Amino acid sequence: MANVLIVDDSRTSRKILRGILEESGHVVIDEAVNGQEGVQKFQSCKPDVVTMDITMPVLDGMEALKMIKALKPEAKVIMVTAAGQKNKMIDCIKLGADDFLTKPFDKAEIVAVVAKLAN
Amino acid sequence: MFDQIFGNYLVHAGRISKEQLTEVIEYEKTVRVKLGLIAVAEKLMTKAQSDEVNKLQAIMDKRFGDIAVEKGYLTEEQVSQLLKKQGNIYMVFVQTLIDKGFMTLEQVDEALNAYQEEQGFTHSDMDDLVSGDIERTVRLFLPANEELNDRLCGIAVRTLLRIIDSSAYVSKAYFVDELSADNFAMQALEGDHRIISGFAGSGDSLLSIAVPFAEEEFERVDLDALDAVGEFTNCINGLFATDLSSEGIDIDMVPPEFYENPVVLKGKQFCVFPITVGGSVVNFILSVDADISIN
Repeated sequence: MANVLIVDDSRTSRKILRGILEESGHVVIDEAVNGQEGVQKFQSCKPDVVTMDITMPVLDGMEALKMIKALKPEAKVIMVTAAGQKNKMIDCIKLGADDFLTKPFDKAEIVAVVAKLAN
Repeated sequence: MFDQIFGNYLVHAGRISKEQLTEVIEYEKTVRVKLGLIAVAEKLMTKAQSDEVNKLQAIMDKRFGDIAVEKGYLTEEQVSQLLKKQGNIYMVFVQTLIDKGFMTLEQVDEALNAYQEEQGFTHSDMDDLVSGDIERTVRLFLPANEELNDRLCGIAVRTLLRIIDSSAYVSKAYFVDELSADNFAMQALEGDHRIISGFAGSGDSLLSIAVPFAEEEFERVDLDALDAVGEFTNCINGLFATDLSSEGIDIDMVPPEFYENPVVLKGKQFCVFPITVGGSVVNFILSVDADISIN
């Protein structure tokens, strides 16, 4: 079981992710609607795992990933991408992303990826 | 898809009633079996393989059979045999109309000829329509010689059919400089091309996308419902970006935008592609290398 922080500007995506995570026994410790809020909540909530959307207003997921890894290099951050963001995925790996989830969400994939990082 | 298109033509032409069309379409659903189910029943694929291909279809703009062949689960010959077993849905449609006594074969033929004349389709076009092949069908409703436009419209329809409503069907796309809508969810793509795509609705029509995508009952098209439509648009655009990246064309998505109240879209000959989803008409909006202003 992991305490998860969901960072995504889409309410729909946050709701679907929350539902799947809670159903599989994880605790969604908080949600953030952009990268800036995500970095703030990462510091205040101290989650075990962060799911981070790439495309967001104010501060995008890649910048937020960079800031979180600077604050805590061992932080577990799963980047959430749409199909077609292959170049950004490579950049995210260079920035220290721990894993990826692709939209539209696949429940089995979410459960497996979060469980792997939580352990 | 042509069963829905021709069926609605028959209703508008007064040849069958709306209720009779619904009865025929409902009957079709009971006899139409998905390719994956047939493959599993024939022991050509395991249930796990079929489920895997179904999941991959959500993130790949490809047909079930094509993915199964790529994964090495089926041969092309086996896919061809399975498609034959699945049957042509248009033929099922016509057979059902006749079996239920709603029309005779002669009346169907006569109506089909009238439809062809009215729409200006060639004999070859009609072969495409009755083939049951989605790609061949959708192509006939798109503007010609607008490559990026047609590709993104094609991906939008195929994604709608896979994720939202397998009974969705299209009307002819057209270009305008201005369009009014009650609400609008859109996303811009930037990079080697500047593209704007999204869905414009009238009344509550966008709920036909928002409700199944978010799996949530929205009361009206509010910002939450539009967020769901925006996320669905994001999925379509992601598939399009993947398609283009294989040719070295780089585009990236920016966060979606939502308009809850009536808007007027103004641009330079942007594409409006009407798609009937869950019984409601939504307009897929697309502008390639030209901006749209929203007021």
